[in-house]
Amino acid sequence: MVRQRLLGAAALTVALATGAAAQEKVVNVYNWSDYIDESVLEEFTKETGIKVVYDVFDNQDIVETKMLAGGSGYDVVVITGPFLARQIAAGVYQPLDKSKLPNLSNMGPEVTNRVAEYDPGNEYGVDYMWGTTGIGYNVEKIKAIMPDAPVNSWDMVFKPEIVSKFKDCGVQFLDASEELIPAALKYLGKDPDSKDAADMEEAGKLLASVKPYVQKFHSSEYINALANGDICLAVGYSGDILQARNRAAEANNGVTINYVIPKEGANMWFDIMAIPKDAPNPDAAHAFMNFMMKPEVIAKSTNYVAYANGNLASQKFVDPAILADTAIYPDKETLANLFSTTPYDAKAQRVLTRVWTSVKTGM
Amino acid sequence: MAERWTQDVKPFLAKWALVAVPYLWSLLFFLAPFLIILKISLSQTAIAMPPYVPVIGSLGDFWAKLSDFTFDNYVFLTEDPLYYSAYLSSLRIALVSTILLLIVGYPIAYGMARAPKSLRNALVMAVILPFWTSFLIRVYAWIGILKPEGLITIALQSLGILGPDEQIHVYNTETAVFIGIVYSYLPFMVLPLYAALEKLDATLLEAAADLGCPPTKSFWVITFPLSLPGVIAGCFLCFIPIVGEFVIPDLLGGSETLMIGKTLWAEFFNNRDWPVSSAVAVVLLIILVVPIVIFQNQQKKA
Amino acid sequence: MIEAVGPIKRKFAPWDDPTLKPFIRFENVTKRFGDFTAVDNLTLDIYEREFFALLGPSGCGKTTLMRMLAGFEQPTEGRILLDGKDLSGIPPYKRPVNMMFQSYALFPHMTVEGNIAFGLKQEGMDTSNINTRVAEMLELVKLEKFAKRKPHQLSGGQRQRVALARSLAKRPKVLLLDEPLGALDRKLREETQFELMDIQMELGMTFLIVTHDQEEAMTVSDRIAVMNHGIIAQIGTASEIYEQPASRYVADFVGDINLIDGTVTAVDDDNVTLHCAGVDATIVAEAGAGEVAVGAEAGFAIRPEKVQISLEAPPAGTPNVLSGEVWDIGYLGDISVYRVRLAGGSIVKATVANLTRIVERPITWEDKVYLTWPADAGVILLK
Ligand SMILES: Nc1ncnc2c1ncn2[C@@H]1O[C@H](COP(=O)(O)OP(=O)(O)OP(=O)(O)O)[C@@H](O)[C@H]1O
Ligand SMILES: [Mg+2]
Repeated sequence: MVRQRLLGAAALTVALATGAAAQEKVVNVYNWSDYIDESVLEEFTKETGIKVVYDVFDNQDIVETKMLAGGSGYDVVVITGPFLARQIAAGVYQPLDKSKLPNLSNMGPEVTNRVAEYDPGNEYGVDYMWGTTGIGYNVEKIKAIMPDAPVNSWDMVFKPEIVSKFKDCGVQFLDASEELIPAALKYLGKDPDSKDAADMEEAGKLLASVKPYVQKFHSSEYINALANGDICLAVGYSGDILQARNRAAEANNGVTINYVIPKEGANMWFDIMAIPKDAPNPDAAHAFMNFMMKPEVIAKSTNYVAYANGNLASQKFVDPAILADTAIYPDKETLANLFSTTPYDAKAQRVLTRVWTSVKTGM
Repeated sequence: MAERWTQDVKPFLAKWALVAVPYLWSLLFFLAPFLIILKISLSQTAIAMPPYVPVIGSLGDFWAKLSDFTFDNYVFLTEDPLYYSAYLSSLRIALVSTILLLIVGYPIAYGMARAPKSLRNALVMAVILPFWTSFLIRVYAWIGILKPEGLITIALQSLGILGPDEQIHVYNTETAVFIGIVYSYLPFMVLPLYAALEKLDATLLEAAADLGCPPTKSFWVITFPLSLPGVIAGCFLCFIPIVGEFVIPDLLGGSETLMIGKTLWAEFFNNRDWPVSSAVAVVLLIILVVPIVIFQNQQKKA
Repeated sequence: MIEAVGPIKRKFAPWDDPTLKPFIRFENVTKRFGDFTAVDNLTLDIYEREFFALLGPSGCGKTTLMRMLAGFEQPTEGRILLDGKDLSGIPPYKRPVNMMFQSYALFPHMTVEGNIAFGLKQEGMDTSNINTRVAEMLELVKLEKFAKRKPHQLSGGQRQRVALARSLAKRPKVLLLDEPLGALDRKLREETQFELMDIQMELGMTFLIVTHDQEEAMTVSDRIAVMNHGIIAQIGTASEIYEQPASRYVADFVGDINLIDGTVTAVDDDNVTLHCAGVDATIVAEAGAGEVAVGAEAGFAIRPEKVQISLEAPPAGTPNVLSGEVWDIGYLGDISVYRVRLAGGSIVKATVANLTRIVERPITWEDKVYLTWPADAGVILLK
């Protein structure tokens, strides 16, 4: 999941505490870019005296490479479920010392149970935020081209007759095989988490059939493109599309963006905080995680980034408009329709990447 | 004893130290990394840190684990036409780009070399100047120029060449990749060409004219042959990195632009298959190094 | 191979024939580089089949003059005519003029052969003829063995010969040679000089040569122009320039000269009487160029070889006698140069042919000697 603002601003290190002395306690945090209200970090330093060295990324394949190479120097890493699962298996993370995390009691069972699929027994990680992968569209343009467009269905992007209509106004897909293949499988009525090569290839065929109408596969460009009105349809991450919606509204450029979770069901993903085995400051890492589980604190971040969190106790501090937005906090019905995926083993991953390559290049 | 040191040993050491510097450099920054990559390419993936086996801790380890090494990854590359096509497509894109660079770069270098002496340094600066901003940002800027709603479309629309609803569809195509590559690599082509052309003695062209050779012809029989060292240097300097180019096709190209850099990226980051990606890199190196070595030998003989 | 042509030099003086038109004509040509004037309102006629030499100090505009004729520089003012046609606007590659460059300008990527054949190929000559001509040229400049070499594999003198061969190969109507033989040893240079004269005569070409070697200029050329700061100081045959220099500049620049300053005391018919207070002598001699009036400041110019030196005083009443003391003797093999210090301290040079092998000189250091000369041996030049 990519939530980048500008390519190239990859590693923006934000050292927040001032007057750092050599012996000062620090915690090194590695998170997605634009994924936190930074005032929260200052509050943490004020409360604990621990300085936060905050580093960001916008591609977690790179994060995984760093983690697998070892010696990254981070104390807390925020990473998406399947990545976490694989890295746990590779021995990247240490089990949490739950005695240092009293705020765990604030977490809701719904999200905690889903996270347990990647991290059995919730031994290694705690959810930071979660979101869905769905469809964003330009309300006026879609209406003009196809007044009765099935905007709440994957038909919009997976049915060639329909998506072909929007080719000229611009369609973009995430460049993320682990999002598009499960979505296509779900649309085909198959298990979205299938690791079967034949299933994945069938999903690939479906995607290849709509590929001619897709202008670009890219994991972040659609944010600006939607907001500027350069494209009218995108498969992307909920928060990113909501960001595009807000930007368009701020720019007041006559573009209205909407995000939908297709009725067939969509991927629900979790970004999880975990502590690397070789973390230099594990105590500070626990303190940071515990702090982030404070209801007021995480609610502040949710209000800022427009992603839901798994902290049930925080909901009374969340902006009512966000809490009521079903694009962010889906209703029960929609929630039941959301699916999650498990990690791909090396062989399945290779099939997945290969199918994806052939979708994109025809090779 | 001391005398012997200053008279024989010291100059000897000084001489060898001087020669050793480039060798040490290559050893440290080329050979050592290459051997590591080669070793990984002969390993197997694993869910571990690092994600492959065997991991060699010591030299003794190396001999003990020798039997664990495998050529499977290389065999794998031959089994899927993807890799073959990606190599071929990269070579093709690099070749076309290099030719385009030569066509665009030569007149620029020629103009610079023929400009008044007082202007030349400024012109060289002008060629280097874009390097002062980040490469990534410059490529990103091309998106703004090339995209359907971008500057080119706007310019052509305001000139009335395009109608208000027409757009230029270059972005996300191979053409955009070529534009991006030519733009980004131009200095690497222009500077060696300029160096060669600037050295060229203008009286040679006068001599040719004097002997009855018109200017266009003397360009081909005098100027161009004498600039060949620059042409060759420029072409190598461009061709080799373009073959492995990743960022430009990723940003400007369509998803169907197949290049080995992207394939390598997918192997390394998506599949997390260090051994196969290392094998891809080793093969790439062989593809590039072998022809260069052959060429250099040929040059020496000639 | 070019055959040697009979006894050298028939009577050839087209410049004296008013009915003949000049082949090359510089007409009031001026060339300025910025505010520097390299060639200054210069007019010069060169006739067909003439071997014409340009002589002058470094930087006086010789190369510039040639470059204008070859077409590499445009005159700032004036025009250049070739065979009656104005050359302005005709590019160098269309002019029937070849130039041998002072810097040779050999093509570094071509062999000696390739360099020589270059101009012939431009003409579209067929291969077998090119090969014959190239072989001929290689023989002429004695570089047969070096045909396959590249210029950087040759010595300086060999390169100069390649440049010469290359410019000659096309047998142009007009050949411009900018110091063509400077890098050759004396023997090779003399041989080549004669070869050049043969070729020029046999092929009926017109040569314009620049040289710093006055002897060479006198040997090869029909006429010589002495240049000074972009103007021509004198044009004439070798003997005119040498024997009748038109000015002190020319007299001084060409060959060796003794100059004795004085005041004109009498002028009659052809002779001028000069009183030289500095050396306390009276000299009578022919007037050179220009009007000489009584009272004018002038100088008496005489070449050292025309001064006779003797230990005995000439009979009383003999005109044109100077006396002094032998100050220095230079032995040059064929001749010896005596530097004689006159009463006023000025030096006069006299050369004496070494006719015998006697080591013991009749006249030696610090001898008191008398210098005399025939009445028409020197010339009076205005200051
Ligand atoms: N391109 C030029 N720009 C400016 N000045 C020039 C240029 N070419 C020649 N000159 C000047 O013109 C004058 C004449 O130069 P030229 O080369 O004709 O001399 P030259 O008589 O051939 O001298 P040399 O015997 O040293 O070869 C020199 O003072 C030279 O500096
Ligand atoms: Mg000169």
